[in-house]
Amino acid sequence: MQEQVVMVGDDLPLVGVLSEPDPDKNSAPDTAVILLNSGVIHRVGSCRLSVTLARNLSERAGLATFRFDFSGIGDSEARRGTLTAAQAAVEEVQEVMDHLNQWKQFDRFILYGLCSGAFASYRTALCDGRVIGTVQLDGYCYQTWKSSILHYAPRILSPSRWVQFVLRKLGLVKFKKGAEVSGIEERYFEVPNFAGYPPRQEVTKGLRELNERGLSMLYVFFGNEYYKYQDQFEDCFKPVVFGDNLTVIHHPHATHILSEPEERKAVVESISDWAQDLIKHTQQPDRNGSETGHRVSLSASNEAPN
Amino acid sequence: MEAFYFGPSESYLLGVFHPRQSTSRNEAVVLCNPFGQEYLRAHKSMRRLAINLSKLGYSVLRFDYRGTGDSAGDLTGVTADHWVEDIEHAIQEAVDMAAVPKVALIGLRLGALVAAKAAKNNNQVSRLVMWDPIADGSSYLHDIISTVLEAQNQGSRSRILKADGTLHFNGFSMPLPFQENLSNLRLDDLATTVSAPIAQIVSHETEAFTNLSQQLSERSDFYYELAPAPHDWNYVDHVGGILWPKPVIDAIEAYFDQRAF
Repeated sequence: MQEQVVMVGDDLPLVGVLSEPDPDKNSAPDTAVILLNSGVIHRVGSCRLSVTLARNLSERAGLATFRFDFSGIGDSEARRGTLTAAQAAVEEVQEVMDHLNQWKQFDRFILYGLCSGAFASYRTALCDGRVIGTVQLDGYCYQTWKSSILHYAPRILSPSRWVQFVLRKLGLVKFKKGAEVSGIEERYFEVPNFAGYPPRQEVTKGLRELNERGLSMLYVFFGNEYYKYQDQFEDCFKPVVFGDNLTVIHHPHATHILSEPEERKAVVESISDWAQDLIKHTQQPDRNGSETGHRVSLSASNEAPN
Repeated sequence: MEAFYFGPSESYLLGVFHPRQSTSRNEAVVLCNPFGQEYLRAHKSMRRLAINLSKLGYSVLRFDYRGTGDSAGDLTGVTADHWVEDIEHAIQEAVDMAAVPKVALIGLRLGALVAAKAAKNNNQVSRLVMWDPIADGSSYLHDIISTVLEAQNQGSRSRILKADGTLHFNGFSMPLPFQENLSNLRLDDLATTVSAPIAQIVSHETEAFTNLSQQLSERSDFYYELAPAPHDWNYVDHVGGILWPKPVIDAIEAYFDQRAF
């Protein structure tokens, strides 16, 4: 594997690192995986996950990868404009795809992201047909009746939760969010300014469109507060008949920033395996054909804690 | 700004060079990162410090040690002395790129401790600036282990893997050889052997900081400043919030503005 630093764009460039497999191990010379920022963490990713994953994909799956900083994050200078951060992210991913296409002739892309990076990969896939797959860690998903029960039942049965609820209602305890949780003065602590989730109907429509296009989707959910069971994603988007395009993995004991080494290793390996399968099943001659999807993996992990 | 890889091919290092933006100073600056989650949370501060110093006329090199950030490998087989070697490579790179004879080292937390070792006997180092320095490698490890054990009682999954002694803390691993090597480093030993001027700029007061400043205050070239600012670099939230201790960054910038070599 070889790595090099790349600046995309002449004015206020986006800074990134290209990892390329050794030529004899390159499984898809036309395909690159692009790894997107999570929140305000720079391109190495939460707990260095993006670096670990990029190198694993290059060495194990034989794929080129490019991890970069959106403008205003990490080493990329802020750019001024009228776009929202969400719109600018899509434009910048497309700019990176254009650059990699002109420079290295990549014309198919897999987008990877955690949290806000997952949202950006979804939005970019919607408006760019060069994207053949997305890997979304804690991507868009909404409550179902079953997840609501799993989420609220323990709270309803918890006396301490009731005490907190009453104290909050009486104004004696403040519900904290964002920088307030840290106890660090807001001006000295930067947290991502996430846009709210789009309406579920909008995401359902988007997923239907991507599914019909044959986009392969790997969703990995961690033990977050609102993703409660293995099939929640499919239950949530029931109107979409995903068929062979969707793989969902649930790591209920992993944290959102994936700080546990074993969980991180398992996630990295499952993404690499998924990407290898995707490449195996989407050779270039099929790209222009009528194939609309393929089964990557039917299994979903619901691992016990290590 | 220019980003690139440098150093030996087997342990290549990510460097980001900020060329001087104004009157040329006859000195460049190398920034030395802290460890683990602290490194992630300090990236923005280090970048901003580099930009501000470049506007004062200093060329600045930021870099990732081997096994960290975008640099080669992981920490398997790496020791603190390897990081000292990495700083030495960075010093040479800064000298070459900025075409200056001398380099100031600024180290944050663990970065200050390894920078002090790199400054020892290195006549290219013009001064050493220690920002909230780790004064004692052994105490630092002890504090991490205590924090891990305390957090485990509260359900955290940070832990020490006893099989090989690797320490897992806040999503980052420190193997045993690194710990063993680090536990031998103490600023009170190292700082006395550094011939270049030393500055200690801190965001808060601790017994270790006070002891160190008292020891160094005998030196005529010692500078000390307290610039109160948040300093919990190991505070980890679930969305990756970033500490932004502007007062201490401003203090370091002012020190370089007023005390040119």
